[in-house]
Amino acid sequence: MIQYASIILIMLGLYGLLTNRNVIKIIISLNVFEIGLNLFIISVGYVDGGLAPILTGNSTSVLSFVDPLPHALVLTSIVIGVGTTALGLAFAKKIYAKYGTYEIDEMGVE
Amino acid sequence: MFSIELVVLSTLLAGVLAYIVSIKLPKLGSYLTILASLAVFSVLAYFGFNNNLDAEVNLIPQFVLFKTSMFGLYFAIIVSFIFFMVSFFNPYFIKDYKYPAAYNLFYLMALAGTIGVFFASNFITLFIFFEIVVWTSMFLIPLGKKRKPTVTYFVFSTVGSFAMLYAVMFTFSITGSFDLAAISVLSGKSALLVYILLAVAGFAKLGAYPFYVWLPKVLGKSPDPVSAVFSGGIEKLGAFIAFMAILRISPASIYLEAVGMYLQNYVIAIFGAITIVVGTLQAIRQDDAKKLLAYSSASNGGYILVAIAMSSSISLTGAMYHILAHALASTAAFLAIAVVHYRTKTTKISELGGMIHHMPLTYMVYLMAIISMAGIPPMGGFISKWLIFQAVINKQMIIVAVATFFGSIGSFLYVFRPLAALFLGQKLPKYKGVKEAPFLMMIPLIILTLGSFYIGVIPNQVIDFSNKVIAEFGFGPLLMNEFGIQGANGTLSAPIIASVFGLGVVVIAIIFFILPKSRKVGLMDTYTSGEFIYTEELLHYSADFYAPFERLYPAKPLISKVYAMIKEKVNELGRFFKYWFFTNKPEVTVLWIVLILTLLVWGDIL
Amino acid sequence: MNPVLLIAIPLLFAFLSIMNKKFARPLLLVALLLDVYLVFTISKGLYSIGGFSQYGINLLVDQYSLIGLMVVNVVFFLTVVTNCKEVKRLSTVLLVALAGVNGLLLTNDLFNLFVFLEIVGISAYLITSGNKRPLATFNYLVQGTVGSGLYLLGLILLYSMTGTLNMALILPTIVDKAIPLSNLALPFMLMFIGLGVEAKLLPFNSWVKGVLQNANALTSVLIAGVFATTIALTFGRLLSTVFVLGSISNIVLVILAVTMLAGEVAAFASKRIREVLLFSAIAQSGLIILLFANGLVIPAIMLIIANIVSKYILFTITGKMVDGTKTDEIESLQGVFSKNKLVGFAFTVASLSVIGLPLFFGFIVKLNILTSLFSQYQLFLSALILVVSLIEGTYFVKLLIKLWYSVGEVKTFKVDALVKVVTLIFALGLIVFGVYTKPLTDSLMTVPEEMMEAIAERGNF
Repeated sequence: MIQYASIILIMLGLYGLLTNRNVIKIIISLNVFEIGLNLFIISVGYVDGGLAPILTGNSTSVLSFVDPLPHALVLTSIVIGVGTTALGLAFAKKIYAKYGTYEIDEMGVE
Repeated sequence: MFSIELVVLSTLLAGVLAYIVSIKLPKLGSYLTILASLAVFSVLAYFGFNNNLDAEVNLIPQFVLFKTSMFGLYFAIIVSFIFFMVSFFNPYFIKDYKYPAAYNLFYLMALAGTIGVFFASNFITLFIFFEIVVWTSMFLIPLGKKRKPTVTYFVFSTVGSFAMLYAVMFTFSITGSFDLAAISVLSGKSALLVYILLAVAGFAKLGAYPFYVWLPKVLGKSPDPVSAVFSGGIEKLGAFIAFMAILRISPASIYLEAVGMYLQNYVIAIFGAITIVVGTLQAIRQDDAKKLLAYSSASNGGYILVAIAMSSSISLTGAMYHILAHALASTAAFLAIAVVHYRTKTTKISELGGMIHHMPLTYMVYLMAIISMAGIPPMGGFISKWLIFQAVINKQMIIVAVATFFGSIGSFLYVFRPLAALFLGQKLPKYKGVKEAPFLMMIPLIILTLGSFYIGVIPNQVIDFSNKVIAEFGFGPLLMNEFGIQGANGTLSAPIIASVFGLGVVVIAIIFFILPKSRKVGLMDTYTSGEFIYTEELLHYSADFYAPFERLYPAKPLISKVYAMIKEKVNELGRFFKYWFFTNKPEVTVLWIVLILTLLVWGDIL
Repeated sequence: MNPVLLIAIPLLFAFLSIMNKKFARPLLLVALLLDVYLVFTISKGLYSIGGFSQYGINLLVDQYSLIGLMVVNVVFFLTVVTNCKEVKRLSTVLLVALAGVNGLLLTNDLFNLFVFLEIVGISAYLITSGNKRPLATFNYLVQGTVGSGLYLLGLILLYSMTGTLNMALILPTIVDKAIPLSNLALPFMLMFIGLGVEAKLLPFNSWVKGVLQNANALTSVLIAGVFATTIALTFGRLLSTVFVLGSISNIVLVILAVTMLAGEVAAFASKRIREVLLFSAIAQSGLIILLFANGLVIPAIMLIIANIVSKYILFTITGKMVDGTKTDEIESLQGVFSKNKLVGFAFTVASLSVIGLPLFFGFIVKLNILTSLFSQYQLFLSALILVVSLIEGTYFVKLLIKLWYSVGEVKTFKVDALVKVVTLIFALGLIVFGVYTKPLTDSLMTVPEEMMEAIAERGNF
């Protein structure tokens, strides 16, 4: 179920990128896209009724663990996402400083 | 023994040396080109005639391989001779070039490249040297004044060489060999493809229809020695390729009973015929002497193609002979025009006149050259055309025959024009102090003319040689005796014809000397409608020389419109891509991504 | 010597350089020198980081990555050296970029590759921000982020199917588990698109024009030379050892063929020198990836090397030229080389090599490409390649003639001696390799085998 939700989020993000002509809105669409992506990554490791992947002394089957790798990956991915967003906002500020607007259509460039 | 590899390499080295020398002393560098091309010619001729050329390759690594053949040797000697002859003009023109050092370098590199082509033993070698010739000779063109023809030349040459490359690679993918003989192994459709591609390569380089449009542009606008080298030398690479394609490949095809040849050969002959007609028609209306000769070069290329396509002993000998005769004659003609250009700074016929008074020798050279090009005895061109006519009539190819005769008659029209207006005609006052060609320029002019004359009177040696060449393609020798060549329906005795001609000249000379001399008057001593003329430029009679005839057909070749259209289409396509894909809009990319993914997912579900 | 140093040293120096801005440039140079030294001394092998064998991140040093590292690091170093003035502000970013570039070439892990892709991407955005065209850079950022996002999505899908991120293990696992090709189409397509954005493939490359048409020598060489080479090599490794194109191979081939054609015709229709070069770069990268997609690794690597060398020459000289003359309209640059013959010589050699004329390295590459394509009996593709290289030749010759021969007044520009020397050496290299290629072809000979060995040797973990 969560996978469908995340795919819908990804699509929403792409739709936002397609339709928006505002720099800030584009960055937000990117964020939506990335959140969808991150959720999807987590959903891949999900095991129904699985345990936290911590090695205790108890003899539990390896198969009942939730896959820990996607969690590790998603952390990295979130960090990168934050970095890109920050950079995007910095560029947005520069764009505003240069053109005095966030609307791409109003900037009068080719 | 002398190895071909050494010839090629040392020519390249000489080029580099000439380059280094000419950075400081361009003139000295151009004298080096004379020496180097002399060395190449004499080595090839001496060792070649004695069957002493060594094809072994030791220094050049990889896949470059040479071999000796009479076929290659014939071409190599002719072309290196042309390079040698033209090089005498280099010292006089070098100071006009923007980059004189580069000229000397590329001149010798182009020579090395052509030698490499003619002695190549596999297609890779052939292609490498072919391309070397293309790009080095390409850089010779813009050294004059005009730079646009460079691109035209590059495009047409590259169409040819890429067609050849494709053919070579295709042959390789089927036979697994790059050897020149590999194309004979092909059969059926693949043979037809290779045949067509190689023919395209030959056509493009020779400047045959529909690729002839580069010839007038390049030959007309290049520096004069370069035009001469192109017309007499580099263009012959096309004939070389055409020879190989047409004679070595036997694709499955329809045999035409009526003319006794295969369909594809007939098509080539028709294209050759079109080239003759179109070249002649365009040459007739040119005002620029160099452009005129360029179109004539194209039409002569047509003769060579027709002759090769007929593939009989007579026609092939005719082709070989025509290659030599045309090389000598057109080089002489171009060089003669070069002298005029050097002295007067123009090649426009309507701006010149009366040059015979200033440069009688150049006039004679030009006269002999055009006599040869028009196929009048006693020059070399007569014999080659006679052979080709014999073959055409023998094959009963009516359309082609009409075209070849038309071309021959037409050539009277066009070669007469510069003769009448440029050398004869009124003497224009502004060229009063113009002098005859400098001594060094006279050497090649005289040698070329004598050569042209010699092969017109005594054809035996050349035919001996060309018999050996066509034997390599599996054709029997052309029969001849001491005085005559055995044609299909008659014998040609060149010495007798020449002596009849000589007799005629003697008779005319006697009449000329016996009759009282005409009174010489100044050129301004003329009047019309009872008025003296002071601005005689206006009455120059070569303007609109053939006006009634010229009205019959368009000035610009129709095919060049097609090429302009292709260029415009490529441009349009480029603008299309730029407009639709390269914008500052991120959503374009996203849209395409979504579209492709949708296509993929949708396609999978279906 | 552990190859991880190639990544760690620049990263460490990047942190140090933030602390004291004054030392940023020396640190960059030292890092570059160290990296160049390391590249030539490391030995081949598989290095697992942290000793987790196939569960952790592996760095793979084989002939393929070694050649890539050598080329990229040397060119990176020379680019920085020849553009000292512009580097100042960007030292830290360049250090990060260096780490990313080396990481991309070395890593043997799909997710790690994503991380380095982002590092390279972010540093590329920052480098291009120096062009003072924030909108173009922003556009690049959005597309780059979407691209790497799609790559991430693809690799996660792949992970959920195969259960591994190790590049050497993916293909064997696919075979072991008998995963149907139709399931693999989506993840591979996503990854292809993701990398395609960075590799400048056609429908995903609208950022290129905005970024490169205003770039100076440093930016354009880094983006079109160093980064493009790195991405192409990374892409190549994925295409030859990881991807199973199967049902998407038709889409991929169409994309690549169109990229090639579009790049060349767009360059043909361009009137500015930087535009011409950038479109030509697009077409070249299309061709490179096309070769990898057809499994022709050796010609592809040769093309990559020829490409980075000629791109270095072309973009450096163009950058300096545009700086000096303040224009990049070809019409107003006519005859510039008549006053700068040495630079013009290097430029000419590079363009003749790109066109693929004999005596230059590009010719050997072209011959190799065609021979390999024909031995696969790819008649249509090779015809296409010939057609586009005809178009390419046409506009390059036109460009060269215009730059050498003037009409009217000639603009002048100054070039440092260092730039002259470096471009000349590269140009001579193109000629030398064009005549004598044996050492190079010998060292390339083993590349495909080694790449396949890495997969076959998975039992060694």
